[in-house]
Amino acid sequence: MAPDPQAPVLRVRDLSVEFVTEEGVIRAVDRVSFDVQPNETLGLVGESGCGKTVTGLSILRLIPMPPGRIASGSIELNGQDLVPLPDGEIEDIRGRDISMIFQEPMTALNPVFTIGNQMTDVLCRHRDLTRRQARVVAAELLAKVNIPAPASRLGDYPHQLSGGMRQRVMIAMALSCNPQLLIADEPTTALDVTTQAQVLRQISELQAEFRMAVILVTHDLGVVAETCRRAVVMYCGSIVEAGEVAALFGQPRHPYTAGLLASIPRLRTERLAELPVIPGRVPDLLNLPTGCRFADRCPRVQERCRVERPPLAAAGAPGAAVACHYPL
Amino acid sequence: MEILQYSLRKLLAGLPLIVGVTLVSFALMVYFGPDQTYLLLGKNPTPEQILEVRQQLGYDQPFLQRYLGFLREIVTLDFGDASTGEPVTTLLAKTIPVSLILILPGFILGHVVGLLLALAAAYWRGRWLDKLIMAVAVTGMSVSFLIVIIGFQIVFSSSDGLDLFPVRGWNASSLGSYLTYVTVPTLATMFVALGYETRFYRSIIVEEMSRDHVRTARAFGLPESRIFFRNILKNCLIPIITRIMFSIPQVAIGGALLIESYFGIPGIGKATYEAIITGDQPVLKAVVSLTAILFVLVVVITDILYRAVDPRVTLK
Amino acid sequence: MNAVVLPGVAVPRVRGESLWRKAARKFARDRLGMVALAVVLVYLVAAIGVWLGWWAMGWPDLTGTKWEPVSRGHWFGTNIIGQDIFDRAIFSTATAFEVGLIVALVATALGAIIGGFAGFFAGSWIDDVLVWLMGVLDAIPFYLFVAAVAYALTDNPWAMHVAMIATFWVGTGRLIRGEVIKLRGMEYVEAAHSIGVPEVVIIFRHILPNTSHILLVQASVMFVSAIKAEVILSFLGLGIKDGMSWGLMIDESTKEVLAGFYNNFLAASLLMFGLVMAFNAVADALQDALDPRKVG
Repeated sequence: MAPDPQAPVLRVRDLSVEFVTEEGVIRAVDRVSFDVQPNETLGLVGESGCGKTVTGLSILRLIPMPPGRIASGSIELNGQDLVPLPDGEIEDIRGRDISMIFQEPMTALNPVFTIGNQMTDVLCRHRDLTRRQARVVAAELLAKVNIPAPASRLGDYPHQLSGGMRQRVMIAMALSCNPQLLIADEPTTALDVTTQAQVLRQISELQAEFRMAVILVTHDLGVVAETCRRAVVMYCGSIVEAGEVAALFGQPRHPYTAGLLASIPRLRTERLAELPVIPGRVPDLLNLPTGCRFADRCPRVQERCRVERPPLAAAGAPGAAVACHYPL
Repeated sequence: MEILQYSLRKLLAGLPLIVGVTLVSFALMVYFGPDQTYLLLGKNPTPEQILEVRQQLGYDQPFLQRYLGFLREIVTLDFGDASTGEPVTTLLAKTIPVSLILILPGFILGHVVGLLLALAAAYWRGRWLDKLIMAVAVTGMSVSFLIVIIGFQIVFSSSDGLDLFPVRGWNASSLGSYLTYVTVPTLATMFVALGYETRFYRSIIVEEMSRDHVRTARAFGLPESRIFFRNILKNCLIPIITRIMFSIPQVAIGGALLIESYFGIPGIGKATYEAIITGDQPVLKAVVSLTAILFVLVVVITDILYRAVDPRVTLK
Repeated sequence: MNAVVLPGVAVPRVRGESLWRKAARKFARDRLGMVALAVVLVYLVAAIGVWLGWWAMGWPDLTGTKWEPVSRGHWFGTNIIGQDIFDRAIFSTATAFEVGLIVALVATALGAIIGGFAGFFAGSWIDDVLVWLMGVLDAIPFYLFVAAVAYALTDNPWAMHVAMIATFWVGTGRLIRGEVIKLRGMEYVEAAHSIGVPEVVIIFRHILPNTSHILLVQASVMFVSAIKAEVILSFLGLGIKDGMSWGLMIDESTKEVLAGFYNNFLAASLLMFGLVMAFNAVADALQDALDPRKVG
């Protein structure tokens, strides 16, 4: 990626994450590099299983280790590498400097503790507050995410709230310590469409208010187009294309990105039958092809693609990059 | 008040179960059970005597009538006298406390130590300590209770072993003698329970550890030990409570049987076993009704405990 | 053994491989499971030899004197009346397999059938009655129930088997009931229903085969439980009536142990421990291999 004059909040370089299984070593994330600038929203896009969630989790070292391991690379938060950090120090960073919210608001909160209890746990962990003070702050945070009657909601258990409410509680918790970076892993996937839009708007508004960077991990290109300035497209554990969303979506360079975009249903499309799909299937992570991982499904495949893996190289617009021998 | 109402409703709902337990027990233990006629009459009875005793015992009546009589006596708590001539209530008052103080230490230790081992194994799961604990647990599960009893007797009570405790018998007149007699049975009970309890508790703890909310707690920087001992453990309480509560009737009535027979301890398990063998109806009646009532009580209390630990459970 | 569900990683699948093929592959890679299976097979060979009359036929014969030590003629010595302990222990292996297999197979079948019906008719009175029955059997303490059955069927050599089967099926029944309730809503079952396939056929042809992995694990667990229960019941005088078993040997040895003679006790206990331990390990390995959620 081209160097940016602004110092990035997060700088991921050559990150590889592996899982040791009985069947062999699975490299779920393969030499991924990207930057996140202050105040920006970066989209991390791809199909399920492409490594985007594992990438998000490994930033906070939340993948189970073992069987998982960070095989190589660095994850720098304001210049400090998180990978070699001892457990105690990464615990301090979690929820304070970097917060994360998850896909399933139904299960992400502990069912046997009240909302207030779970929020004050986080507040007391990172901020010098008494539990009484923490409850006041928690109520303020709930108000920030537009939860009505926040003080009385603190005594509720997660099952007493709707899915959208629960996700907002998660967001409120994530904002507890005014983090520099929020990693949102499919935050709206489990919600219904109207709630999705509300939650996304909420995240955007709060991002501006709290001046934090956001990594939005999603499979939904529509969500990326609406909320992100830049995006990174992942396929089979590695980045295939990155760049400004406008350029990326307007003029995709990688055949995979082009295929993804073409397969989004649009109102303009007359009939569903005409919707193009990417043929074939994602290769087995245990038996990856030697060449380009997309070669088997690529309409533009050449002999070279099957033997030589294309590196991610700067191409086209400034800050854009693509991993393809024969980009569009 | 709410709890009282709830309990009453639950007890009412437990009625079919009580009917079932008494019906099955009656059919097996009384109707098809041993015939006491000759036991009571001794050698060479006259046909008239036989007829009379059979009438007395109700053997000439049809099944349903006998069962209803059985139920009536249970409901009116009219158990009568055991075949030894002793009132059944006296027998129960004598044997139940013995069984309780015999079995309770091993029962409690089995669950507590099992839970502690499971916590250690789950906390360090995948490490050598976990592997060691689980290997020992499977080994423990593979040893028969009887072999454990005999083995422990050889080790702790025989002249070839440590020779520290009495081989058999029972005397709880003072704390000192109670401890000498209860130690080996307790160790045996605990040893046998430990493998099963450890495995069970570890599996539920490990399952809780893989839940999404644990990852959330971790993602917000809560320390590992706090997540483990507070968040995860509270979520494990329902299966833990279920496990402990539902083993109470088994242990209280049947569980002591083997220990009591082997060590010659006059407890309720042994008394019941002898009643089954001899067809001592009054004792069986009392034990069967006790079993049924205990089971329903356990169900009610367990539900109330559920509500105390899990806000999702409501008393509806 | 240490299973972890990976976050957001699609579990790699070899194309078109069935649950059973995959399980067999996983099992074959489980070294402990394979060793345990080999041990079980050695025991099975010993049992088959007994069934075919090849060895251990001299178990009731008085071939020596009281409490002979280990020798070339008596590998494990002799018991209190001079019978060969090795022959008795080997003969008992066959008894253990008979008890284990009969109880495990019948109880599993019963659990599958009753559980299947209960699950398929969940919500109707059929299910209510079957669930009530399971509750009743659970409420009666096991050894008291077995003692009652054994005496109700006085002198019947199958009393012990019947008693174990009558209680052991309940656990399997509950599991299968739950599984069937889950499967009942599946499309292929609804499809079969909509084209008028009779309900009994749906249960036995379409639903129960899909619970076979649960049944296999349950059967292996019950095999072990039956062998362990036999020892205790034989000691209580409720077990094997004619023939020889580890339980009877241990019962016999209780007098000998007090006199300081351990051969009988050790032979029966160690052989039993070996089989139960190996079978427990096989059951664990099976469970791991058949759990589709587990990776690694």
